[in-house]
Amino acid sequence: MIETRKWIFHRISAIILAPLYVWLFFSLILLSTKNYPEAILFFTNPLFKILTIMLFFVGFFHARISLGEIFEDYIHNRKIKDVANILVLISSIIIPVIILILLIYKI
Amino acid sequence: MIDSKNPLSPHLQIYKWQISSLLSITHRISGVINLVALILIFFWLIVLSFGETNYELFLLTINSFFGKFILIGFTWSMIFHLLSGIRHLAWDLGYGFEIKTANISGIIVIVLSLMLTVIFWLLARGFI
Repeated sequence: MIETRKWIFHRISAIILAPLYVWLFFSLILLSTKNYPEAILFFTNPLFKILTIMLFFVGFFHARISLGEIFEDYIHNRKIKDVANILVLISSIIIPVIILILLIYKI
Repeated sequence: MIDSKNPLSPHLQIYKWQISSLLSITHRISGVINLVALILIFFWLIVLSFGETNYELFLLTINSFFGKFILIGFTWSMIFHLLSGIRHLAWDLGYGFEIKTANISGIIVIVLSLMLTVIFWLLARGFI
């Protein structure tokens, strides 16, 4: 990705992420005092499903760019840096996809 | 040893910490902690899909003293990163660069993050 576009996407993802993350984290802390059926009920709501899936995709996208910046500053070996970036890229796709499948087919 | 008269870049042991550098590194660390929290949320949903018995066991774990300690930590990390992020966005728009303003906004971020963590937790756990 070109650095300028990376910078812009990083800011846009931050703005989308902020309300989503606060919402889901708040909901989960709320659910931590409730039982299993209530948690299932929460995630059967189609809107909440979509928001959660969005949160994971945008969240890992934001994290991927940020971690890339951190690696740039602290990992001096180019090969290790490339491998680290690829591992982060793979996880940032796999984890949201697992959540997508989980929420659509299992819960 | 390299014998050079060149000045050294910030030496962490003798580096004088300022609010700006403290918040800068904490912004990064809290960001990484938020990623760990998101991975915990990932496992939260995985366990939820495993059915009632597993989920109840998971709830017991996160409602233990240690579990709550971690969750409150994650809450603070999230709120701190968010507030500090707003501060960064203001800078991106060209506001708040004066040293005095930056110091004040830094202190506001720290104090507000602690206050909001308490309020967030009390609200979410149904104490308010």
